[in-house]
Parts: sequence; C-alpha cells; structure tokens
Amino acid sequence: MSNDSRPKTFLIVLIPLLSLIGCGDGGERTFAALPAFCQEVMRDMDRFLGSFEDPADGRYGGTAVVGGIGEIPGGMNSLVSADHGAAQHQIFVNQMTLIRFDEAYDPEPYLARAWDVNEEETEVTFHLRDDVFWHDGHKTTAYDVEFTYRRATDPETGFPNAAFWAHYVPGPDGIEVVDSFTVKLEMRPHAEALDPWRALAIMPRHLLEDVPPGELRQHPFGERCSVGNGPFRFVEHRSDESWAFERNPAFPEELGGPPFLGRYVYRVVPEPSTLLTDLLTESVDLYLQPTADQFPRIEDAEHLRLLTFPFRDYVFAAWNSRRRQLEDPRVRRAIAHGVNRAQIVEAILGGSGSVANTGVPPFHWAYDEEAVDALPYDPERARELLEEAGWVDRDGDGIREDADGVRMELSVRYNTGNQERQEIAEIMQSQLRRVGIEVRPRAMEWATLVSEITDAERRDFDGFILAWVTEFKVDDTDLFHSSNSSAPYGWAGLEDEEVDRLLEQLQVTVDREDALPLWEAYQQRILELQPFTYIYFRERGAGLNERLRDVHMDARGEWVTISQWWIPEEERTGRPLVARSP
Amino acid sequence: MIGYVLRRVGGAVPLVLGVATIVFFVMNLAPGDPSSLYAGPGVSPQALEEVRQNMGLDAPVHVRYIRWMGAMAQGDFGHSLARGQPVRDVIRDLLPNTLLLSGTALALAFLAGILIGVLQAVRHNTWIDSSLSGASLFFYSIPSFWLALMLILVFSLYARNVWGWPVHFPASGMTSVDHAWMTPWEQVKDRAMHLVLPATSLALVLAGGIARYTRTSMLEVIHQDYIRTARAKGLPEWRVIAGHALRNALIPVVTVFGLYLPLLFSGTVFVETVFAWPGMGKLVVDAIGQRDYPVVMAGALVFAVMVVVGNLIADVLYSVVDPRIRHG
Amino acid sequence: MLRPLGREVGAPTSAPRRPKRGGVLLAILLPGFPQFLGGRILVGGFALLLWASFVGIGSIRWERVVAAPGGGWDERAALLTLLCGLMAIWTWSIRDATLGSGVARTDGSWARFAREFGRNRVASIGLGAVGISYLAALLAPFLAPFDPAFQGDLVVGRLSAPSGAHLLGTDQFARDVFSRLLYGARVSLSIGFIAVAISMTIGTLVGAVAGFLGGWWDAAIMRFVDMVISFPRLVLLITVIALFEPSLFVLVVLLGLTQWPLPARIVRGEVLSLREREFMVAGRALGFRAPRLIFRHLIPNTLAPVTVAATLGIGDTIILEAGLSFLGLGIQPPTPSWGTMVADGRNHLLGAWWVTTFPGLAIVLVVLSFNLAGDGLRDALDPRLRR
Repeated sequence: MSNDSRPKTFLIVLIPLLSLIGCGDGGERTFAALPAFCQEVMRDMDRFLGSFEDPADGRYGGTAVVGGIGEIPGGMNSLVSADHGAAQHQIFVNQMTLIRFDEAYDPEPYLARAWDVNEEETEVTFHLRDDVFWHDGHKTTAYDVEFTYRRATDPETGFPNAAFWAHYVPGPDGIEVVDSFTVKLEMRPHAEALDPWRALAIMPRHLLEDVPPGELRQHPFGERCSVGNGPFRFVEHRSDESWAFERNPAFPEELGGPPFLGRYVYRVVPEPSTLLTDLLTESVDLYLQPTADQFPRIEDAEHLRLLTFPFRDYVFAAWNSRRRQLEDPRVRRAIAHGVNRAQIVEAILGGSGSVANTGVPPFHWAYDEEAVDALPYDPERARELLEEAGWVDRDGDGIREDADGVRMELSVRYNTGNQERQEIAEIMQSQLRRVGIEVRPRAMEWATLVSEITDAERRDFDGFILAWVTEFKVDDTDLFHSSNSSAPYGWAGLEDEEVDRLLEQLQVTVDREDALPLWEAYQQRILELQPFTYIYFRERGAGLNERLRDVHMDARGEWVTISQWWIPEEERTGRPLVARSP
Repeated sequence: MIGYVLRRVGGAVPLVLGVATIVFFVMNLAPGDPSSLYAGPGVSPQALEEVRQNMGLDAPVHVRYIRWMGAMAQGDFGHSLARGQPVRDVIRDLLPNTLLLSGTALALAFLAGILIGVLQAVRHNTWIDSSLSGASLFFYSIPSFWLALMLILVFSLYARNVWGWPVHFPASGMTSVDHAWMTPWEQVKDRAMHLVLPATSLALVLAGGIARYTRTSMLEVIHQDYIRTARAKGLPEWRVIAGHALRNALIPVVTVFGLYLPLLFSGTVFVETVFAWPGMGKLVVDAIGQRDYPVVMAGALVFAVMVVVGNLIADVLYSVVDPRIRHG
Repeated sequence: MLRPLGREVGAPTSAPRRPKRGGVLLAILLPGFPQFLGGRILVGGFALLLWASFVGIGSIRWERVVAAPGGGWDERAALLTLLCGLMAIWTWSIRDATLGSGVARTDGSWARFAREFGRNRVASIGLGAVGISYLAALLAPFLAPFDPAFQGDLVVGRLSAPSGAHLLGTDQFARDVFSRLLYGARVSLSIGFIAVAISMTIGTLVGAVAGFLGGWWDAAIMRFVDMVISFPRLVLLITVIALFEPSLFVLVVLLGLTQWPLPARIVRGEVLSLREREFMVAGRALGFRAPRLIFRHLIPNTLAPVTVAATLGIGDTIILEAGLSFLGLGIQPPTPSWGTMVADGRNHLLGAWWVTTFPGLAIVLVVLSFNLAGDGLRDALDPRLRR
C-alpha cells in the first residue's frame, strides 16, 4: 500500500503522536507552570541549596524509586493532611519533627536538641537546634513551632488529628516562645504527652503566616512547592504520577548529615499487579505494602528481598451494641470464638501478622501477653455462649433466634474495593454460619460507609470491618468511653463504668509502672466486653530490590531510615544526575 | 462550513449544560460528606463545621448549584476538595495525558482497523478473512482491564525476565524516572515506549470494530463500476485498491470515529488504572470515591465536551472525505 | 454480487420421504442420530450430544435430581430445565424423523431467516455456545461438584492447582473454581439478559415514538438521546452505584437504564424509513390510532435490527459488569459472578493463574459467542451484507 494516496484523515489522527516530541523538559528546570508563589519559592530553594557542595564519598548519589498504590493526599502540608503516607513523607523525608523515636520507640532529640518537663508534668520546654535551615535559606526557629501549633489548634484550619492536643491547651495561650530557639508549652500530665511532637512536622512560618487558616488546604505549598527542613528537598509533584525529592546538602552533620541518595522518587501505581511487575522488572526499587498473596513472588525472585515488620495498624469488626442481636457481651464473645482468626492471619496475611485481642499493639510496652490466647477459636464454646444468652435455633434453619423470634442475622459492612476486608467478611460469613449466626457482607463505597457509621444519631448498622492506624499513644477514649457513646466514633455504644474509670485513670497516669496494672485491667475488660472483634495486627511488608542498601523499617514507619539508604555506584541505573542550573 | 460548525457548537451548549446539571444533582444526592473524610477522630463538631464552610458545603443544594453554575460561567471550576488545588490546574495536568493516550490509541486503532479491513475485503472469504474476523471479535470480547493485565504479564514481565527480550516495555507511568536527563531524541523514545502497552490495549478493542466497518464498506465499493473500469485500464491492483477503492470506502468508516469516543473514554478509566497512567479517567473515578464534587463535575463536563467535539470532528471529516456533502 | 434470493425459497432440498418405523425408534432411543445418519452431521450431532449430556447429568447426579423438587428455586429451575430439555430434543427428533427433512418448512420470513442463519456455520456455533452456557447456568445445581460458597480449609486447601478433586483448582478461600464458574454464569448471563431486555424495551419505545411523531417531537427526543449518549456512562454508573448499594437488582436496572439510547437510534432510523410505506399509509387511511400503528405495525417490523443489537448488547453488558467488578462496584460476595471472580483473583495472576484465567476465558468465550451469533443474525437479516 502506498502513502501518496492515503486520505487526509490520517494526518489528523496522527497529530497526537507528534505531540510526543514537543514535551521534553530538557535538563533545565522551568517553573512557568507553577503558581507565582511557587515560582519564587522554587527559585529561592535552588539558589540556597545550589551554594552547597555535594558530598564526594562513593556512597553518595543515585536515585531510589519507591512505588506505592496511592497518591499522597494533602501532600507536604502537615496542617491539613490526614494520610499515613503523607505524614511519613513530612516527618522523615521533607520536613522535621521536634523529637523522633529511636529503635526502642523512646524519644530522642531531632529538631529539638533537648527538652525538659517540669515537676508537675504541666509544662514542657523544647530547646531547638540553631543550625537547621528551611530549604530556601531561612533558619528554623521557635516561631515556626509556635506558628504550627497555633494553626493546628485553630478550629478554622480543620486540623485532622485534633486528638493530638487532648493534653494541651489549644490556641495562643498554650504556647510561649521564650527565645528564638526555645519554646514552652502547657499541658496536662500524660504518659505519652510528647507523642504529638513525633508525629507533627513543623511548618515554615515565614511562608504561610499570611495565609488565612481556612485557606491552608487550598494553598499550593503542600502539593506544588513544599519548603521543608528535612533531609530531602522537594523538587516536583506530578498529579497521580510521582513525587520527586533531592538531597538536602545543608542537612546538619550532627543529625547524620545529607542523605546518601541523590534523588528519591515516589511513584503512584494504583494496580497491585502492575506494581509487582514494576518491582520484578526493576522499574521500582521498593514496593510498599504488597498484598500477602504477592509475598511468595517477591521471595522467589533472585534480586528481591521481602521485608516484614510489625506495624501500628489493626483490623477489627466493630459491633453496634445498641442492636438487639448484639447487646449481650456473651454474643460478642461468641463471635470471637466462632471466627478462626489464626486461620485468617494465615490465609489473608500469609502468616505475617498476629491475632489481635485489643487495640494495644504487640510491640507496645503495655501489651498484655496473657491476653494472646484469651479468645481462641472454639465453635463449641461459641455455641454454648449463644445458648446461654438465649439464642437458639427455633425453626431449624440453622440460624438462631431469640425468644421473640428475632433472627441472629448481622449485616457486616466494609468498603468497596478493599479486598482484604471483603475476604475477612466472607470468611466470617462462612465460619459464623456454623455456629448459627448469619452474616451478610455488605460492600459500601468508602464515603458512604464513613458517613453512615459516624452518623451519631442514626447508627444504622450492625457491624463493619475497618482498619485503624494508632499512634504510639494508645487511647481508646474516643471509641469506648461512655461520654463518647453518641459522638461520631462511639460506634460500639459501650457504656461501662469500669472501662470509663480505667480510661480516665490511664489518661493521667504518667509513670509506666503505675500504668501497667491499669493497662492490664483495661485489656481484660475489653476482652470480656468485646465491643469490637479485633481480628489482627498486620505485619506490613515491603518488596525490596537488593541494590538498595540499609533499608530498615519498623513500627515507626517505612521511611524512618531513608537518610541511610544507599546504592552502590556500580548498581545505579539510569543516567547520572547532573546538577542543573537554577 | 464555519457557519455549520458554529451552529453545531451552539447546539451543543444546552447539551453540555444538561450533562453538568445531571451530574451535579446525582453527586449531591449521594450520601457521604467530604468533610467527614478529611477529619480524624476527636474532631470537634465546631471544627467540622469550619471545614464544611471552607469547602462551601454548608449551603443548601440549589444555592450551591447556582453558585457553581455562576462560577462555571466565568471559567472557574473551583478547588478540588481532596487535592486542595484549583480544579483547572488538575485538569490542565491530566487532560493532555488522556488525550495523548486516547489519541494514540485511536490512531493505532484506525490504522490497524483499516488495514485489516482492506486485507479482509481483498481476500474475502478466504482463511485470511475469517481468521482476521475471529481475531478482531476476540479482542472485542475481552474485558479491557483483563487484556491490559495480560499485556503487562506477557510483554513487560515475561518478555524481560523470562525471554530476555532486548527491549523492555514499561508496565506503568508515562516517563522514566531519569527522563529529564535524556537527550530530546531519547525523551521521545522513552515516551513512546511507555505508550506502547496502554495504547495497544485500548486500540485492540477498537480496531476490531473499525476493521468490520472497513471490510463491509470496502466490499461494497470493490464491486462498483469505476473500480472495474480502473482494473480494465490495466492499473496495478494495489493502485486500484489504495487509490480508488479505499478513498470511497473510508467515508462510512469516518462516522465510527464519533461513535467510538464514549467507548474510548470508558476504556481509559481501566487502562489508566492498570498502567498507572495519570489521566482524567482515573481522576474522575477517584474523585467520585472522595466525594470531590468540583472535580467530578468538571471531569464529566470535559468528557461530554470531548464527545461533542469528537462528533463534530467526525462530521467535518465526513464532508472532507466525501465531497458530495457540503454543510452550508 | 447478490445471490438471487428466490432460488432456495420453498424449494425442498430432498424429495419427501415416507416416515420409517425404524427411524422413529431410533429417534426415541438416540435422538439426533437419524439426522446424523441422514447427512446433517452438525445438527444431528449437536442434538445427540445434548441429549446424551442431559441423560448423563441426570443419571450421575441422580440423588440431586430426585431431591430437587424439595430444594430451593435454583434446584427446581434446574430440574425443570433438564426435563424440558429432554422433552424438546425428543419432540424435535421424532417430528423431524417422521416428517422427513425439508418438506414441512413453512415459508414465513422467520423460517427463511433461520435457514439463512443456519447456513452461517460460525454463527451457528456461536449461538450453540450461548445456548450451552445458559443451559450450564440453569443446570448448575446438578453440575457443580461443590457448594460455590463453601470454604475449605483456608490454610491447606487454598489456591490448590487444578486436579481430579477440583477440576479448575481452588481460589483464595479454598472454594472450588469450577463450581463458582457454573454459579457465576447464572449471575453474569442473567445480568446481561435482563439489562439488555430493559434497555431494548425502553429504546424501542422511545425510538418508535420519536420516529412516528417526527418533527418537533422527534428533534426534542433525539436531542435528549444525544445528551445521554455523550454522557460518560461509566461516571454515571459509578456515582449511582455509590448512591445505592451495589446489589444485583441495582446493577441490572442501572445497566439497563443507561444503554437504551443506542436501540432508540436504530429503531428511529428504521421507523423513519417505514413510516411512508404502504402498510402505514393504509393504516392511517383506515383511521388506526397512533398506539395501534406503533405497536402493531411499526415495532414488529423493527424487531430484526433490535434483536441484533440486543445480542451484541448482552456481550457488552457482561464486559461492563466485569469492569465494574474491577473497580470494586460489581456483584457483592459471596455471590460469584465472572467479573468479580476475575477481578478478585487478579492478585494471584502470577502464583495461581487458574483463579482468574478460567473465569476470564469464560467471559471471553461467551461474549465472543454472543458477538458471533449477533453478526450472524445481522448477516441473515440484512441481505445486503450477505456475501
């Protein structure tokens, strides 16, 4: 077939192909597409950081590509983001927190070189380092901390982790700048009072002070041109595609100095099978949170390694005790006995996880070892408990009824598209049927589910399956204190005096030794009442290409040691990163 | 011609407005309030109310509708609730990606479809004809996400790791990580390589239909008198087919263009998700989950406009390839 | 270019034969066999095989068949299908054998159409495959070796490869893939069928009314149709599924309600060309009312292209359902549908290929069959395309 007579149609459909050519960025960075605020900020960062020499040691350099399923919603703006991945990037990659946790989960200095707490445990004073620069050249000072705190406690901001400040005095009254590098906060005594300062990244006052709190969410800072003070500087964010960061050469030597990696890229790959292919074909170096089904594929591959580490998230089924079927704790205990959770851990997590009994994670100092086997899989015991509670199969259909003929039928919700929770619901359905409880799994779209379960007036559900990431400070007050029974998160509707008393005491007991018996009593009580059927604590996984060295992950998070990650020179792929003119 | 285009565009305005209105009310009927998605436990009701106000969700539906229409009229799509960025920026980032992907897929589909169709017509009722028919129908019968996964499995994973092909088709993304450091020529190549699998998986589905249209229309043309005349003049067969028959056979095929656009955009939703291609399809689906009203409505509008424009282009093309049709 | 149509119309292909007693006996014992011997290998063989498999299922699963009348609706429907199927084959075979082939064919347009269709071997196979898949779906309670929702031992039994015990292996819950495939056929095929029935009904009505009324009404209705067509269907589906819960009912109704513009366009086009034909003019002259004209005269004459569109539409709907499952918006567990089976199993693609490959193949084969049959129908209906 000849070309000369091909109709003109082809020219028109070929235009998109030609557009391939016009899109190159060249080596030069241009900020023309960015908002005016960002253009200036990016230039400032290039100017300031360009004045530093890059370290010459052979370990420095190279690009690490990390692949994850989701975007980083909220980006680098710690005042509005509620997402785990976003928080991790803020506190470990782009920005800094006042304190950080060491490997034993004890606080150690970070942005604050020291801190002291007064005798009554009502005041904490942080002494900040004086050698930390924002990436645009401004020094990080106590005023930044004050700014961050005031915005985070201002209701207009809509800070998503309001629970952080349960022990602090919100607003300008709670914080006092003593001098440029010293800041003092008022608080109530609590065993984990410092925890928020590990989780909240400090934000730059000089850039965001003039932004009205209500408009922080819409400000380009978080998504388009974050200025941090952490080991990596922000370079570029392409929506739904990638985030790129580069080494901050000005990062203080005392905190480990500049990171080894020259460039760190986070890529968004929504489909797990695709991401696994990317890992296997070495298009990404690290695959975060592969599904348990994919673990064996990662282990089998020669150049890959599977990391697993305990994490702070647990999966649970919450039960609405306001419902006739669920009001008796014996029924709820029967459910726990009737579901083979050890088998679920095996089947869904491939064994990397542990059965949960309360919300206290296994690595937590207050974790009650004795509670591990408190509610084993025991269908016989489940049947007994149900019988005791008056639930007997009266019409011979295999499902129990109470004396008034109410069927033991529970609809269990989960969010659509979440395969793990769907699988748990299906297993519960299959196993609880054998003890005479009918479970009806109901998938709901996430937004619908959230709005329905947090609707305190209607509480139109029997039960639902959800996962929860706790902070290191474990506090179930929102979930189980009777005063919160009609608050959005009072799902179970628990009203128990002992639980109330224990939760209140735990709030104010500072000393761990004093707190430990309280914790144990609390966990025992929760086991008895079973407001939730705790299913498991997941061990998180990560597929790692072995060329990426010294990757360590634990309950603090995936990115905790990112400054130490490095790639041997001979194993680096792609083109060498040549410094680009600002 | 210009007058015709203008009239068509004018006619499309109420259509697009209708689409926008329907999407607005459907979205607002849906349960679930975005403010609850962006707040954690322990948020005071007061703070939640502030968030709702910031997001402009406190007003009744009809007020919001009027407000939104007013803003739209001024070209202001508002801010994305989930991303915090102006919707205009988000669309400006992602729309070109979708256009690149679907444009390439369309081009591939028409090239392949027409070629196959012509081949089938020329060799009609032979084994070539029937096996090509079977193949087109086969690809038309595969769920597109499934086809996409299979392509990744075979041409990205197995080709590289098992069979050791010298070229590697990337399974995800639009560019390599070191794209910015490449020479312009390498950059073009890099983009093209990333396009191969997603564009192919979209194109395979469409090509079959186009081939069928081409085949039918070609068969009709081949038996016309002027083709016989051309043959009788002693022109070589390929000149007859390519020069005389094809040009006329393509006229009805062009109409398929407009018909396939909605199908193509549904396909992008799946293909973009599987290949991690940052585009409009995935944007809108995500936004529905996040109750990100402004993005959903803007996205639906963009899709509607693209379909309208696509149909318009088809009509204009129609008059270009068929001189008998003139829109006055 | 066109073969003269008249050649085969009404012309018997063989001389009338007298009924033979042996043939009848054979037709009772082995229905389809006389036709097979008589040279009609495809038809005869098909009937014979079908009959044999019915009898086989009935005898192998005898205890289930006997228990069926006391079981649920699934079982009763399966029993009914089995009995009706057997009766139908016998009736056809005996009638055919006694009357002899090729004699008693009526010369109605449907009979001609059926013959025309039968000539297209590929399309016939497609139609046969569609029929078989519907039969398999109906007979699932007898065919399936396991309860599709039954979970075996989650640790030992999950993801076991195809074997004698589990023909197509087990999935991540140690459920039998083959049984789920059979039960999944019920959901997938009925979704396709019902949704298309809804959309064809609406589409035919809207199209016929628009075409019949013409003028301003026609313009307004077709504008609306244009709007619905340019509407991103998937966006609407996803939003509304989020609004309601994704149940089988919601899904079917939604799929049906969003697909009607296409048949509406087809029917309108047909009606526009039929409107001025003699029988319509005559009808109007006789003073028939509009509903009578539309329902008695116009719609029956548009049924042929609608049937083609419906056949092709069922395939599209099955694919769309699979796509929605991929987005997590399909049929809810533990009800299996092919779409959810493919979508839920895709994480096992590398380790346990059988979990998704078989339902995936089932979708492809059934949709392919629908498309082949649809193409064949179109060719048989439209002599212009018959080559």
